[in-house]
Amino acid sequence: MPSLPQTAGADPAAAAAAARPPRRKELSNLQFALVVTVPVLLFLLVVVAYPLGYALYLSFHEIRFFGGYSAEFVGLANYKAALADPKFWRSLGLSLRFTVETVVLTIGIGLALALVLRDLKPRWRWLRAMIILPWAVSPYGAGIFFAYFGRGQTGIGTALISAFGFDGTLNLITQAAVIEYLALGAAWNMAPLVAFFLLANMLTTPKRLYDLAKIDRMRSYETFWHVTLPPLRFTLFVFTCISTVLALKTFDYIFTETQGGPGNSSTVLTYLLYQISFVNLDLGYGAAMSFFLLALILGTTGLIYALWGRREERK
Amino acid sequence: MSRSRYPVWLILAVAVALLWTFLPMYWVVKYAFMTKSEIARFPPELYPHAPQLAAFYNIFGFDYTAADGTVFPASGQANQIMLGLRNSLLVSAIVTIVTMVVVLPLAYVFARMDFPFKGKMLAAVLLSVSLPPVSTLIPFYTLYVQLGLVGTLGGLVIITLTITIPIVAWLLIGFFKNLPPIEAMGRIDGFSRLYIFVRIIVPMAKSGILVAGVIGFLFSWNEYVYAQVLVTGSDAVTLPAAMSGFLFQVPEPAQLAASLFLSLLPPFFIAFFLQKHVAEMNFA
Repeated sequence: MPSLPQTAGADPAAAAAAARPPRRKELSNLQFALVVTVPVLLFLLVVVAYPLGYALYLSFHEIRFFGGYSAEFVGLANYKAALADPKFWRSLGLSLRFTVETVVLTIGIGLALALVLRDLKPRWRWLRAMIILPWAVSPYGAGIFFAYFGRGQTGIGTALISAFGFDGTLNLITQAAVIEYLALGAAWNMAPLVAFFLLANMLTTPKRLYDLAKIDRMRSYETFWHVTLPPLRFTLFVFTCISTVLALKTFDYIFTETQGGPGNSSTVLTYLLYQISFVNLDLGYGAAMSFFLLALILGTTGLIYALWGRREERK
Repeated sequence: MSRSRYPVWLILAVAVALLWTFLPMYWVVKYAFMTKSEIARFPPELYPHAPQLAAFYNIFGFDYTAADGTVFPASGQANQIMLGLRNSLLVSAIVTIVTMVVVLPLAYVFARMDFPFKGKMLAAVLLSVSLPPVSTLIPFYTLYVQLGLVGTLGGLVIITLTITIPIVAWLLIGFFKNLPPIEAMGRIDGFSRLYIFVRIIVPMAKSGILVAGVIGFLFSWNEYVYAQVLVTGSDAVTLPAAMSGFLFQVPEPAQLAASLFLSLLPPFFIAFFLQKHVAEMNFA
């Protein structure tokens, strides 16, 4: 327990504050909350409402840049076009595949790392600090790392097979499995943070529970399931949500790693949006499609909450 | 001498974890110490045979003469890299401070008080976490052109705050919820809300606050999408945007690796310091 503030502290302001008689007038909860939150909420309102409103406007218009800027109202045509666009459905599928794989790998690898780090003896604890480092790498940097790491010309695959005396290249970034490779790199980036929060949870589980499990002659997987896992469930839920949102939003990581390729095999929804809005400059269409992405992000997190979060919610 | 030995599986697992952690980073960072011909060699070299620091001199605008007389000319991007390093530090520091000043009371109020419209206000905060930058970029860019904020540090700080505030708030709300209910006692003792918050809650939550601050710093330091669009090529360029010149305009793997290595140092230093505190912070 941290000590309560001392009146005889070195800080004169604190001493004065404590010596002063209790305040006569107090704000109500609502007033206090308003004072604190209203400026932030106004800021957020501007940064949420403004771009959303602007994007909504764009999505109902056909924007042209050739022959001078023009915006023609087209109603829901952009939305209908998106729903009829096979590219949209393909990218949606790739986004979901990338997200599911990333989340499963992130949580799984995070859990595995935490279990390994938990059992280290004090003189090896500094290894914990080493393992968290990938999390400090930007998605942008991680994309560069995994691009060179996977490519046939420069990558680990070719280095390995040539070490065993084979000629030729082994490319890890292939049309068929590029999404899996991307998911692995995204998990590399995020899993250490998950591991650290899980580790913090694990260290608060009383040791006697493990002793009891031993007396009950639980097998190691039973101990894991009944003793180790239950206190971690809320953290696992929170990070499932966070990594789902981040994976669906991922752009810079894919931009530096594969540029949506090879071919268009990793053109996830965010990358397709980038191509439509920034390469083709079809702003109205891009804006309409981005609302489907937003709906997807909100829908997925809502679903996770409905299926899982409600049970974990703390009172 | 350790009294009990580690089981073999644990040693193996630690080795695998370290390999998993460092191999992808090493694979690119090694380029920083290699020559162009070494990088181009096939099959790829596993390590630099004659490690040298040319790339680090080059990205800071110095020519480098190797022992055999080869000259590595200074990079044309040196100016951008140096500006980027300074701006990245500046922007991240300002963003982190502003974020924490704003979010600490906000998260506290949401976590520990009941008041009308709380659910709706919280939903607004969380909605802003969900907005993908690819869809907010065009509206922001248009606004920034009109306000003259393109290519300015102030503009970048504001837009980066839109990323850090919601995510840090999200983390801290969860953390504050788990502190013991100390307010009632403080109120009985006649302390004001502000006093309780500043003098009791904040010291109790020190670890969690530090971790949240570090997360805010990293999100700001690593931000690339907005920077690429808003400040590339200007005096307000940040390190990630400056580095992308080595990636797309003139591919220079050695200089790219050197500047990437440089960009990793501050977060590594901070993450290293952070891990002591994570163990104390049980936010769930």
